[in-house]
Amino acid sequence: MRYVIRRLAQTMFVVVVVTFITAVALRFLPGGNDVIVGLKAGPGATPEQANAVIKELGLDKSIPSQYFTWVKNFISGDWGLTFHTNERVADAVKRAVPVSAYLMVYAQVFALALAVPTAVWSAYKQNSRFDRLATTSAFGMLSVPNFIVAPVLVLLFSVQRKWIPFPSTYRSLWDSPVEHFKAFILPTFTIAIPLYAGYMRVLRADMINTLQSDFITTARAKGVGTPALLFKHALRPSLFSIVTSAAVQIGALMGGVVIVEGFFSLNGMGMLTVESIFAHEYPTVQYCVVILALIYVFTNFFVDLAYAWIDPRVRASRTLG
Amino acid sequence: MTDIEVITHDQAPEIPLVAASAPKQVRLRKRGQVAKWLSIAWLVFITFSALGANSLPYVPHDCPGETNAGCSTALIGDLLNKRELPPSWAFFADPERKVLADQPTHAGLLGTDSNGRDIFARSMLGARNSLLIAGLAITFGLAIGTFLGMVAGYFRGWVDTLIENLTNVLLAFPALLLAIFLVTFFNTPNTAESAEPRPLWPIILALVILSIPPLTRLVRANTIAYAQRDFVVAARSLGAKGSRILFKEILPNIVPTLLSFALTGMALLIVAEGALAFLGLSVEVPIPTWGKMIAEGSQRLRAGVWWISLMPALVMFLTLLAINLLGDVLAQRFNTREAIG
Repeated sequence: MRYVIRRLAQTMFVVVVVTFITAVALRFLPGGNDVIVGLKAGPGATPEQANAVIKELGLDKSIPSQYFTWVKNFISGDWGLTFHTNERVADAVKRAVPVSAYLMVYAQVFALALAVPTAVWSAYKQNSRFDRLATTSAFGMLSVPNFIVAPVLVLLFSVQRKWIPFPSTYRSLWDSPVEHFKAFILPTFTIAIPLYAGYMRVLRADMINTLQSDFITTARAKGVGTPALLFKHALRPSLFSIVTSAAVQIGALMGGVVIVEGFFSLNGMGMLTVESIFAHEYPTVQYCVVILALIYVFTNFFVDLAYAWIDPRVRASRTLG
Repeated sequence: MTDIEVITHDQAPEIPLVAASAPKQVRLRKRGQVAKWLSIAWLVFITFSALGANSLPYVPHDCPGETNAGCSTALIGDLLNKRELPPSWAFFADPERKVLADQPTHAGLLGTDSNGRDIFARSMLGARNSLLIAGLAITFGLAIGTFLGMVAGYFRGWVDTLIENLTNVLLAFPALLLAIFLVTFFNTPNTAESAEPRPLWPIILALVILSIPPLTRLVRANTIAYAQRDFVVAARSLGAKGSRILFKEILPNIVPTLLSFALTGMALLIVAEGALAFLGLSVEVPIPTWGKMIAEGSQRLRAGVWWISLMPALVMFLTLLAINLLGDVLAQRFNTREAIG
């Protein structure tokens, strides 16, 4: 329990520092307050109007006091309006989160569903033809950046064969499921390829180690069949690294697939953040950063807890230490 | 592991069942050797071309005549005759644009781009900045990361806590966002009238900062493992100072790990530079980077003009593959299986 509290404190510390750095960094981007005033009050604003805007947004206060106001607003749910469209920032974020979440979930499920059986079989039949094919192809997949995969997929499936419209438009899963999957299939594929390769390699290596341990020999000697041996006995102790990397990817996929989102015109969190920076929509950037940071630190936090479930030894060492 | 097996098989050739698998092992290793040397050859070729692109015969640079007609090099293009021509081997591809009867329909090893420039020459020249950015970034990142990681892993205590929290903060920060911040912060914004050449160093700085946290973690973990070893304890009991133990005892032992990680990291940074180029944040100098070429070419993809984007992509892919492969060879040789990321 003490461990959980300490980790939680550390987590909150990280979030606070990240958001504070963002707040400071946004103040110092080229243009600064002039850009904000220009956006809010129009290009030909009088000094009085400009001052009114600065007062209204609290830009004349010191950075720490601005930051505290921001934290207060964030917690109370009053996220303010965007500069350009006077839309509520919360609405813009609310629109972007599901897009990113769908993409992340589809890619993860797809990658894991392929990686786990491939890795298990590869490890079991080490150095077989299947294993060599799997490892070599995974190696190749790791070396293709997503901005190369995306155009190739579009070229194959949208330009040469007109199977999938490009650029596709995002539809919600409930309104029109077919359109929804048409919009998501290529980006999912693009992201899942390197994910699959990474997971496959990590799990295969761990599986090979596990399969050499004594308890597997014992289980084999007791007459446990191959599927049960692989999936019941060997898989769980081998999950350590793959769970870690899958969890790290959750945060990375929510905000870090800007290129794929942009290429397929899916307006997820990554695109929203980047476009907001370029458009000087500072409040939106700040809320995006805090959400992404929260996702990142909390997935890490839960992974740490998950370790105890996977490996009882971790549980023991923690209660002792 | 494989080594041991091969040796036992050699010693016991009279058992046919076991001996049958021995050549397979040898063949596997041979195949690995071929791949390794091919990778090295490709990297040498790319580096050589990048450095010597100004004078190499296979990278045309200057146009012979007064006019640029019929001439296409890395930087000078022939807008009239050689615009967007597919590679000369691509018999299945036709130029999207109408070509005059007496003009070529295919040009160059990798085709020509929208400005009529030769994509092969451009890719070779583009290697210069791509490799320079990634190479410098990983060098600095490695230097800083190694120092922080060793200090944290050896001295532990509050230094360790401080550095750990620092890396946590950097990792929690969306990576691309950090890069965009730094690059936009140090670049003068381009206006419609004038696009000023952008310097290389903001991108390098951004990539250095991105590469520090994972490197620090890796070095820290390695240092902790070595700090318990007998030779370090012995050095300490002889009265060696912390700095001596770090640099003379621990550092030489983690260098192999660092090398393999540097290679993998360099591949990641080449990709990261490409990602920045897609957001319009890469260098604005006449010499292109691979990322920039791919990004510019992908605009024409929907029209079916695939070579402008995919040919530099192929060069980049081969380079990444070669670097990753060498990193893997190093990691296997020194038996370091640390997770990356």
